[in-house]
Amino acid sequence: MNVTVMKLTARGLLGRRRALLLVILPLLLLGLAGLTRWASDASPEASSILANNFSMGTLLPLMCLLVATGVIGAEIDDGSIVYMLAKPLKRRVILFSKLAVGFAAVFVFAVLPTMAGVAIAGDEGGELSLAYGLSAILAAIVYTAIFVTLGIVTRNAVVFGLLYALLWETVLGGYVPGIRAVSVRQWALSVGERLLGSRQADEWAFASEVGMTTGLIMLTLTTVGAVYLGVRKLSTLTLNSVE
Amino acid sequence: MPAIATQGLTRVFGPVTALSQLTVEMPTGVVGLVGANGAGKSTLIKILLGLLPPTSGSATILGMNSLTDGLKIREIVGYMPESECLPPDVSATEFIVHMARMSGLPTSVARERTADTLRHVGLYEERYRPIGGYSTGMRQRVKLAQALVHDPKLVLLDEPTNGLDPAGRDDMLELIRRVSADFNISVVVTSHLLGELERISDHIVSIEGGVLQHSTSTAAATDFSGVVLVEVTDRGPEAVDRLQAMGATVTTGAQPNSFAVAINDERVLDDVRGVVVDLEVGLIRMQHGRHHLSEMFATQQEALHG
Amino acid sequence: MAENSAVPDAAPAAAQSHGVIHDIGFRHYDGERLGRGWIVRSLLVETFRGVFGLGRPAKAKIMPWVLVGILFAPPLIFALIAVLLGLDELPLSYTAYPQALSLIVSLFVASRAPYCVSRDLRHGVMPLYLSRPMRRNDYVFAKFAGLALALFAILAAAETLLFVGALLAKLAVGAQITGYLQGLAVSVLYALVLTSIGLVIAAATPRRGLGVAAIITVLAVVAGVAAVASELLIYNGNETLGNYVGALDPYGLVDGIAVLWFGVDSAFGREVTLGFTGGVAFTAAVIVVVAGGIGLLMRRYRKVGVA
Repeated sequence: MNVTVMKLTARGLLGRRRALLLVILPLLLLGLAGLTRWASDASPEASSILANNFSMGTLLPLMCLLVATGVIGAEIDDGSIVYMLAKPLKRRVILFSKLAVGFAAVFVFAVLPTMAGVAIAGDEGGELSLAYGLSAILAAIVYTAIFVTLGIVTRNAVVFGLLYALLWETVLGGYVPGIRAVSVRQWALSVGERLLGSRQADEWAFASEVGMTTGLIMLTLTTVGAVYLGVRKLSTLTLNSVE
Repeated sequence: MPAIATQGLTRVFGPVTALSQLTVEMPTGVVGLVGANGAGKSTLIKILLGLLPPTSGSATILGMNSLTDGLKIREIVGYMPESECLPPDVSATEFIVHMARMSGLPTSVARERTADTLRHVGLYEERYRPIGGYSTGMRQRVKLAQALVHDPKLVLLDEPTNGLDPAGRDDMLELIRRVSADFNISVVVTSHLLGELERISDHIVSIEGGVLQHSTSTAAATDFSGVVLVEVTDRGPEAVDRLQAMGATVTTGAQPNSFAVAINDERVLDDVRGVVVDLEVGLIRMQHGRHHLSEMFATQQEALHG
Repeated sequence: MAENSAVPDAAPAAAQSHGVIHDIGFRHYDGERLGRGWIVRSLLVETFRGVFGLGRPAKAKIMPWVLVGILFAPPLIFALIAVLLGLDELPLSYTAYPQALSLIVSLFVASRAPYCVSRDLRHGVMPLYLSRPMRRNDYVFAKFAGLALALFAILAAAETLLFVGALLAKLAVGAQITGYLQGLAVSVLYALVLTSIGLVIAAATPRRGLGVAAIITVLAVVAGVAAVASELLIYNGNETLGNYVGALDPYGLVDGIAVLWFGVDSAFGREVTLGFTGGVAFTAAVIVVVAGGIGLLMRRYRKVGVA
């Protein structure tokens, strides 16, 4: 991992407008969490529903997307990536450095707010927060890796990534049970569910479609696959500019 | 009728005066506009295109008032910006056709004229590839093409040779000369390279800090001055004395063996030759002194020894 | 060779005398120059076609048409369902359809709005437009209208598919016609509101990746927040506030108008009990969003320089 690359990436990521969004959106979540607490008398169950559907289902993937485009998208778009590729750095070093910055950003701007949101909306002894925090970290890692790689592979990455994250996981998952098993969110939740213990999980409407083993395996496979593909693509990057 | 005429043109932005009492006439043909960045060049261009109203004074472009006839002016004026202005993901043909239509040309006419114009600026098979892959020279040609495609009567070219290598500069200057001489389109060119302007302009206007410095025709500015510059190998001061004794007007400078002799009469040249032979020195140079544009920016003293 | 005799071109004549094949020379144009109106219309059509990737290489067509395909699939399915199950009305009403597929519609806006405006801003093409016989605001209007029309086109097409499907399933014609017209009206509102939001965000973030991400994030997150918040409020008895909060979501806003003016069921499955005041307030809100958006765009473009 290369510190200079990381510094440059971080600076590019936290440009004015993106930074604005990165800060405002979690704040919206926290506001919503507060509202939920008031409306449901701090019931962990309501908190869990909010976290599952909104935090993990909508906010987290989108924040990962925002961060991913900030970490790699802009550079490829305006071609300044050539400067970095021309340095005597291994492609995987470049990618890892960028991913490191991305993970850090997602942790701060998405995972922590998720946990805070759960705590605010209603929790007992911090257990739910922890469970969602763990799930969120895992999901965030995979989402970020996928979106960064997508950003390298195709210029329309963003939209396809969103189609997956939002349509596949949220909407279709609601209608077709089979799909739910093939979902980053479910894999991540499986780990959190195990942390809570199944009884507690049931009580708090923390459900996952897959077992933890399956979940962890799929998470690992997907992350490794995404990163590998990313490094491969970065090695053969051409800057042809048709949209 | 001059291509452009301004009268007391002034433009103020709060505490900053971009243009001050600019009164100048730019004739048809090629006019070079000289001025450093911040000299008021961009403001002047915006006003000439009818996009910015002057604070006071007026500007007339091809007989039309910039304040009231902005749209009509832009119909028959072309503009080639200095900055990057081309999208990378379309081909030159597509882009120029689009720009031609944006100038009011019907689609079929736009297509025809695009093909012609691209040929004239020297883009052949490249025109079908995305602009993103073009060299700087090709990009400048595309920029020029979009300024010419709608058959303007006047084009404003802002630093057209920027970023080009010497060969590319020559090509572009030749192209500009053709635009004026062969295509019969008036040209206003900005550059900060006087040498270039000297080569192609018929008229030079220089602006500094929003104020007009000079407005001269280059023919006059680079005409033969009435002196011949002489340089000998040795005994310069003696030669000068002898010539002055013969009644010639000689001006000396720092170099003892170089001096300038005023030509009031052709016989002076014979006198110089005679003196040199008598003194048995070598004659290195006997040359008609030409003005250079840079003299406009030099003091009187410097000019004589230039 | 046919030369435009308006131009005395000395060079070719001299060259021809040497037996050189010379080119025609620069041809001047004395034909008509169409005015602002045509230029604006031309830019509008260009934008419209660009949204769908028409006139561009195949790669540019994938994204929009995939989304459009997804948008058109359900109506066909619904018609089938209606026939097979012998329903007497569509499983999803005309006015509720766009909201049900809000994700797809939002994605469409999020990916196409930047295409419309960010490119010209990012690559500095604006000076070329400004130096042409059009006004700054003409550009804004043309872009806005182009995208809005494109959005309306796909929503209206989806509604039409629903309508045709319903007719084929032999549902009550009268009800279908009313529903269809209401659906079209709703489509107009969605097109205007979403275009306004999308273009303002896109023009503020010319970096392409960020534009798409920003638009979809704003639309999806705001939708989510508004939905949850209004649910909570209504659940807790604060119906009025809940309904107003629901309108913070553009989809909720248009849906609210449909409920209050057309008397249809809310696409969100909630009871909108705001009555006439609500209807007026929502309509005003739509006007503010659209006019405000255009105003913001004009202000943004006023800052664009020529040199």
